[in-house]
Amino acid sequence: MYFIGIAQDILVEAESFIDKGGWVVDPQFVEQMGSPYLMAHGMGVPVANAVTKVNFNKKGKYHVWARSKNWVPGNWDAPGQFKIAVNGKTLKTTLGVTSGWTWDYVGKVNINSTDVEIQLSDLTGFNGRCDAIYFSQSQKLPTEAETNLASWRKTKLGETTIPEQQKEYDLVITGGGLAGCAAAISAAEQGLNVALIHDRPVLGGNASEEVRVHTLGIYGKFERILKMIDTKHYPNGSYKAKYDQEKRDRNVKSFKNIDLFLNWRAYDAKSENNSIKYVDARNTSTGERIRFTAPRFVDSTGDGWIGFWAGAEFSYGRESSSKYGEASDEWGELWSPEEPDDIVMGSSVLWQNEKTNEAHKFPELAWAKDIAKEHKAIAGEWYWEFSRNDLHQIHDAEEIRDHMLRAIYGSFANAKKVEKNKNYKLQWVSYLVGKRESRRLLGDHVYNFNDVKNHTKFKDAVVEESRAIDVHYQRNLKDSEEPDFLSEALFYKTEKYYIPYRSLYSKNITNLFMAGRNFSCSHIGLGGPRVMLTTGQMGAAVGLAAVICKKYDVNPREVYTKHLEEYLNLIEKQQ
Amino acid sequence: MYKLLTFIIMLLIIMGFQDQNKPDYNPMFFSMTNEWKEIALDEPVFEFVVKSLDTTYDTQIKHQVRLLSNSEGAPRLFFSNIETSVCADGECKLANIKVYWNLLGNYVGYGMSPELPLTKFEHDHFEKEDYAKLHQLLLDDNSILKRRKMSDLIDQVPVSPSNIDSKDLDGISGATITEVKESVVKGGLYSCYTLWHIIHGEVQEKMKRYLESITSDTLNHYFLYTPYKDYQMYALKQLQKTEFKKHSIQIINIFKTTDALTKAYILKKIPSDVLSEQSITEQFYNEFPLVDINSRTLLIHRLKSANPNATEILSKYLDSMTRNQLRLYLKYLSDNPEHLNNTSKTNLIKASENKRFTYGFLIKVFFKNY
Repeated sequence: MYFIGIAQDILVEAESFIDKGGWVVDPQFVEQMGSPYLMAHGMGVPVANAVTKVNFNKKGKYHVWARSKNWVPGNWDAPGQFKIAVNGKTLKTTLGVTSGWTWDYVGKVNINSTDVEIQLSDLTGFNGRCDAIYFSQSQKLPTEAETNLASWRKTKLGETTIPEQQKEYDLVITGGGLAGCAAAISAAEQGLNVALIHDRPVLGGNASEEVRVHTLGIYGKFERILKMIDTKHYPNGSYKAKYDQEKRDRNVKSFKNIDLFLNWRAYDAKSENNSIKYVDARNTSTGERIRFTAPRFVDSTGDGWIGFWAGAEFSYGRESSSKYGEASDEWGELWSPEEPDDIVMGSSVLWQNEKTNEAHKFPELAWAKDIAKEHKAIAGEWYWEFSRNDLHQIHDAEEIRDHMLRAIYGSFANAKKVEKNKNYKLQWVSYLVGKRESRRLLGDHVYNFNDVKNHTKFKDAVVEESRAIDVHYQRNLKDSEEPDFLSEALFYKTEKYYIPYRSLYSKNITNLFMAGRNFSCSHIGLGGPRVMLTTGQMGAAVGLAAVICKKYDVNPREVYTKHLEEYLNLIEKQQ
Repeated sequence: MYKLLTFIIMLLIIMGFQDQNKPDYNPMFFSMTNEWKEIALDEPVFEFVVKSLDTTYDTQIKHQVRLLSNSEGAPRLFFSNIETSVCADGECKLANIKVYWNLLGNYVGYGMSPELPLTKFEHDHFEKEDYAKLHQLLLDDNSILKRRKMSDLIDQVPVSPSNIDSKDLDGISGATITEVKESVVKGGLYSCYTLWHIIHGEVQEKMKRYLESITSDTLNHYFLYTPYKDYQMYALKQLQKTEFKKHSIQIINIFKTTDALTKAYILKKIPSDVLSEQSITEQFYNEFPLVDINSRTLLIHRLKSANPNATEILSKYLDSMTRNQLRLYLKYLSDNPEHLNNTSKTNLIKASENKRFTYGFLIKVFFKNY
C-alpha cells in the first residue's frame, strides 16, 4: 500500500488502490500534476468501483478531501464525475467538478474501526480522475498541500531523499518502446546485465496494444532482433495489436539478463561532471522507489527525460529553414519556416468501433461538441492528430490527450445520429497520448534533411531507412473550416538514407545514449526515421555500442573515435 | 498503309490543337476570378513531355505551354491544350483537356472540347458532377494520388464485377481503395490519375523556372495586391522587411482575410518598427478575437515589439485566450508593469471575477504576486 498514516491524518494515493475495478492508472502526466492518478475510462459507461483498505491508527471524526479535476470546465455538466464511499457510506459531494487539479472538500466521516474501506464510484464513464484522498482530523487542509504539494506529499508519505532500493547494471535503459526493447535485447544477447524501465504494464510504447500504431520502416541490419518485437501491418487502432503484444512481451522476458521493470516510471537522473550517476524510478501503483546505477544509460523515453534531467542539450520545435538548409520550394512554411518556432508534429489518440447486431445509443455531449463541431467519424486513424503553438507536447500533454478525447467522443456522437451507424458502438479508445515529436537530444551529429537528400553514407552509418520523409501539419492552418484535430502529411520520397552513430549519443553527457524519436535530429530530420522499425534499429545499435563500451571501458563517443571498425563488425554479425 | 494514314491524321489533329494561335479561352471550371477573359496576348513559352502511364503503349507526346497576358502585356496565366491517352488494361481512349495554371504553376481550371468528353469505366462519359469532382481533385496539390503508383490504388483482392455495382469499379482488376474513392470520380480513376500527374508533374517545375525568368517588381506588386492566397504568400516571401511599411495597408488586409499559415508568416516577419506604429498595432490586435488560436499566440509573443496600447487592447479579449496564452500575457505584464494601465487593470479584475471565465484564477494569482 502506498500511504502512510502519521498521527491523525492519512494520505491515500488513488493509484495504490488494491482493486482498481474499471479504473485505469494514468502515469503520463506525473511531471506536470505530481502523481499517477486513477481514471474512469469507460467510453461513456460508468466503470466498476475501485476499492482499497486503509489502516487508521486512530478512530474518530475525519474530514475528507480528494484531489481531482474537471477536465472540461465550461458551461455544461462536468464530464468526469465520481463519488467517494467510506466504509460503505457514499459521501454526498460529487467530485471532478472543479477546474484544474485541486483539492476538494468531500465531507466528514466517522471512523469506528482501524480497517477502513474506501471506494471510488464513477458516475459518468467519461474519464473522471482522482489523484489522492486525504483524511484529517483537522478541519483545515494544510496550506502546503496546495502551495507546495510535492514536498508535502513526500512528507506525508514518509519519503526519504534516497530511494530505499538500489540496483546496479551494465546498462540502464529507460523507456520500453521499440527502441528500448531493441536496445535491451541487443545488449543482453552480448551478455550485458540490463535494466529496462517502462511505465506501462506492457512493452512497445506506440506499438503496444495500448496505443496500437503499427511498426513501419525497414529492418536494416537488425531484422532478427526487430522481428521479436515488431507488428504486422494491421490498420492503426486494430485489436490485432494484442497478438504482437504477446510476442513482444514474451521475447523480451525470455532474456535472463534483462531485468524488466514494468509499471516503473523514472522521475530523476543525476549527473556529475557531465556523467549520469543514477536514474531514480518509482512504481506507478505502489510508490516504491529504486535507484538504478550503471556506467552507461539509454534514453528511449521518447520525451528525452533522462537527458533533460541530466542536463543534456536538446532542441524542441522547428528550426529556421536556413539553420541546416532545409527549405522546401514546394511546401514553404509548412515544411520548414524562415523563422524558427515552437510547432512540432502532433500527438494521436487512436480509437476503434465495433459493429454489432443491435442498436446502441451514444449521448450528445455539449463538452465534446465544442471541439468536434459537425465532424462525424466512427473510427480514428493516424491523421487524428493535435498540435498547437500554445501547447507543449510534454508540458501540456494532458490537455492534448483530453482535447483528442473530446474530438473522438464528439465526432462519434455526431456519427451516431446517422441511421446507418445505429449498430456501432465504441470498442476501444486509447487513453495514452501517441506522440510523434517532442524533445530531441543533441548528439555529435544532428541528423537533418540534407543527410536524406544526399544519401550521405556516413562511415559510422548504423541505421538505414528508405521511407519517405513524412512531416505533418494541422489541416486548419490552411483551411479554417477543418477540425483542429486532423492533420495532413507532406512527403519527400527518397532512396535509402543512413543515420550515423554520432546521432545516437549525447554531445555533452558523456555516458548517455539515445534511441527513438528523441535521437539527435532536426524537425525535418525526424520526419523519416521517426517510425518504429527505424527507432528499433537505433535501439539495437546503441545496445551493441554499450557492449563495446563495456569491453574497453570507454564512453559512447570513444566507440566512434577508437573502436568503430569493431563496432560495425559486431553490427554486421546481427543479420 | 491504312494504319499509317490514321496515325498521320491523329498527329495532325494533335498538332492542329497546338497550333491555334489564339484558342477560345473558355474554361469550364476556374478557381480565380476572370483573368481568362482579359487575355489579349498568347505566346508559346516552353514545351513539356507527357508520358503515357500505360506500359502497353509507351508513348511520349510533347505539349506546348503558352503564357497568356492581358492587353497591357502583363502575364496572367499559363495554358496548355493537353491530349493524352487514358488507358486501362490495354484499352485506351483519347482525352483532351485545356488546362490553366496561375503564374506560380498552381492549377486553377480547365476546359473541354464538347466533342471529346472524358471517359471512365467501360468508356462511359463523365457526367456533369464528375467534371466538377475532377476540378476539385486537380486543385488538391497534395492529393493521395501524388504518392501512389497506379497499381497501389487498386485493392489487392480482386472483386468479381458481377458482385459489385460497376460504378465502384475502376478498370476490371479490383475496387479502388477507400481513401482514394473519396477523392476521385467514381469509375474514373485512370482518367483522374493520368490527368493529376500530368498537371502536377514536370510542367509545374518548368512554370516555376519560367516565372523566375520574368520576375519583376511589377509582377510582385500584382501578386501582393491580388485576392489569391498563394500569390499573396509568394509576394510576402519576396518582400524585403524594409518594404513592409510601404505596403502595410495591404498587408493588414491580407492578415484579416487569409489563412492561418499566412497570418503566422506575417506576424513572424513584420518588423518591429512597423508593428509598433499605433495605428498598425491597433489594426492587428483588434483582430485578436477573430483570428485562429495560433495567430493569437503569436500576437501575444509580439507584444514586446508592438505599441504599448496592444496590452490594453488584449485586456478586452481575455476570454478569447487559452490558458497558456493568458499565462503568457500575464507574464508579459509582470515583466513590463509600466504597460499595465488602469483600463487594463479594470478589465483583468472584471475577468477574474467572472465565474464563467475558466481561467480567472490565473489573474487572481497574478494580482496576488503583483
